[in-house]
Amino acid sequence: MRVGIELLDLARATGAGSIFVVGTGRNVGKTTVVRAVYAAAWQSGLRTGLASLNPRHRLWIEPQTLFVTARGALGRTPAVEILELSRVQSPAGALLFARAASAALYELVGPPTASGVRAVTERLAACAEIVIVDGAVDRVAALAGSNGAIVVTGGAASAATIQEAVAEIAALVARLRIPRVDETAPAIELEGALTATRAASLIAAEETRQIVVRDPTQVALSGRAGTTALARLKVRCRRPLRVIATAIASIAAEHSFDPRAFANAVADATGLPAFDVYAGVRAA
Amino acid sequence: LKTLHLLDSATAAVLGFEWLKTALTPVSPYGDRHFERLRPFAPGDEPAAQSRANAIAAIAVELDAARLEAIRAAMRNLPDAQGAIARASMGDVLDDPNFFELLRFCTTIERIDELLVGCTGCVPISNHAVRAVKAALALGSAGEAGFYLADAFDRDLASARECVAREQAELDALRGRESARAAQALGRDEVAGDEFILMRAELRGSLPTGVRVLREAPTYLLCALEYGDAALAALQRRDTAAAAVAEAEERVRTGLTEIVGQQAAGLNAAAAALGEFDVLVCAARFTQHYDCTPATIAKKPILTFDRARFLPLEAELAAAGRRFVPLDVELHDTAVLTGPNMGGKSVCLQTCGFIALCAAFGLPVPAARAQSALFDQVAWLGTGREAQIGGLLSSFAREVLELRAILERAAPRLLILADEFARTTTPHEGRALMVALLMRLRELAACGMLATHLAGIAATAGVRHFAVRGLRGIPRQPPTQGVGEALASLADAMDYTIAEVSGDDVTRADAIALTALLGIDREFVNDAYRALSQ
Repeated sequence: MRVGIELLDLARATGAGSIFVVGTGRNVGKTTVVRAVYAAAWQSGLRTGLASLNPRHRLWIEPQTLFVTARGALGRTPAVEILELSRVQSPAGALLFARAASAALYELVGPPTASGVRAVTERLAACAEIVIVDGAVDRVAALAGSNGAIVVTGGAASAATIQEAVAEIAALVARLRIPRVDETAPAIELEGALTATRAASLIAAEETRQIVVRDPTQVALSGRAGTTALARLKVRCRRPLRVIATAIASIAAEHSFDPRAFANAVADATGLPAFDVYAGVRAA
Repeated sequence: LKTLHLLDSATAAVLGFEWLKTALTPVSPYGDRHFERLRPFAPGDEPAAQSRANAIAAIAVELDAARLEAIRAAMRNLPDAQGAIARASMGDVLDDPNFFELLRFCTTIERIDELLVGCTGCVPISNHAVRAVKAALALGSAGEAGFYLADAFDRDLASARECVAREQAELDALRGRESARAAQALGRDEVAGDEFILMRAELRGSLPTGVRVLREAPTYLLCALEYGDAALAALQRRDTAAAAVAEAEERVRTGLTEIVGQQAAGLNAAAAALGEFDVLVCAARFTQHYDCTPATIAKKPILTFDRARFLPLEAELAAAGRRFVPLDVELHDTAVLTGPNMGGKSVCLQTCGFIALCAAFGLPVPAARAQSALFDQVAWLGTGREAQIGGLLSSFAREVLELRAILERAAPRLLILADEFARTTTPHEGRALMVALLMRLRELAACGMLATHLAGIAATAGVRHFAVRGLRGIPRQPPTQGVGEALASLADAMDYTIAEVSGDDVTRADAIALTALLGIDREFVNDAYRALSQ
């Protein structure tokens, strides 16, 4: 089971030019998924672009790969091809676009804003066949309306029980997969976010019209409140996102879940394929 | 662009200084630095101011809009190389982004010089230093605009890189074989990453050689693939080779940095010239766009112009689909300006100030012809600056304090623009204060234009009197009470021409006509006309 290749094929089959990996929390295997997909892309001979929205993230990068980093994070050796100095600033200095000339560990630094993420992704996509982003849920809006695909990761590190971890992943997937608005049906257009207070009052008013937000990240609800709101209200968006798969990390420092049982439960709860890079398994 | 003592902040606001600044803002960091240092020319600098305005006008004539835009486009995304130049001159070894900046700097300068071919008023920016640094860095040109510390810079670097590539390939092959052996023994397609999970149910026999258990769980094992002896040795050889590459790269950087350091003075001169040219190009674009001409910079206090425009208002009117009526003024010392409400008295004063401001910065002015002195101070007094000063003072008291500040400064070359000064006190006292102000301005040999509704001031003070011609007749009443329509109707009926007059026409009733136009009921308006005739 080559998880990286499967995820890459899944994304490319949908016409995605970029893959954004987001997680339900920290240490849930995001970077492992990014590494697996990147290795698959490189082995397939694809011109690949890499970006990371995590602070000071080191990754082994092969020659000819495009990547984004900050001036202050770029090591002196091995030398890379400097393609462009951006005016986008990060805590480690201005971002720059580079192409690796030799295989080595490089530090990736990403833009601090959603608009910066969009600009960087578009710039990389202009020169790469596939762009892989070690992302963050709060900046996934950058992909709204684009041809980017999302992989949601979750794992033992962010939950005490397997049920809790599955619910977390399912809630995030449901939120990110809010469908596009039906223009022919009645709707209430929200300016800004759908908050718990707003959702509660709409539920109390037994609202049956579509509740329309700009993109799924405008649904500021999580946990049980999020699940309830999405079940009771017809929440829709203008610029949908495309979640293509989930990935799990069944090991945490304090505890671990059975990999197969975890993957099966996530696949059942989300209706999406669930992968485990560590175990080399796929469910659904 | 700093006004220093030429304008106070309230005058700058009334005269549209920020608008002018925005219109002239350069596009490159080099231009930004030069722009920040620009100061108004002072009396005595007339030849320099004239020369600058003429140079800008010449560029505006010689380079068409497309060429100016091409130059701006080249400069717009230019990274700032001056930090790198400074570091190199102080002995720091530059990094690759620095070389990228320097290469872009040199190639952009050459590109701009190419665009200037045939422009007799333009001096090439490139110099020996730019050419030397470009030649030194050219081996690192990657693609259209990139930079890479390429093998071509140094034979040792090339061989060090070949060596590390060889060692890396050997390491990869060894690790690949170890990984494939482990995967085969475990019955899997691959062993991905540093750590992997083995399900106990799928484990046949013992773990293969090199697979180490990191953690045990009831249903699975978390494992890692260890380096074998051959792989470990290859890893060490790879690291040694990588260190040799690092050393070779640093040697190349040191050599390139020395060249940059040696050429620092020339590079800084080119950077300064580029900054100045960026600012000139913006001014030339401004000149083209707003159809400006260089004013004749006079040594005596004078401000005259034909068909001048106050550009911030012209832009505002254009956005509303209306047209600015150009103005003619001849101000040799001091004068009084009268005219109806909405007749453009304030705009005339603003135009005077704007023309003087452009001339002070050595810019062509928005007029068909102009002559202007360089002033030490351009001061606005009266309507338009009330909001600038808060507090408990009455509007009259504020005006008096503002006047006191102007008189106390006693700028040797003063242009004062007073819009209805003393309008909030009794008309006879206001008139007396205006006359006194005109007398004082004469003593100071200042230039000044005082707009007022009060009659008889010019004659009493013995100064020239200009007047806005005013309404040609009763404006057409618009079909609705919309203010926009009323203003358009008023503009159609108003003659904004300014002409010198010999006395005050007290029979005019433009204000009452305006009152009617703005929707006050007919009975009220008729009462006003009756009262005027009594």
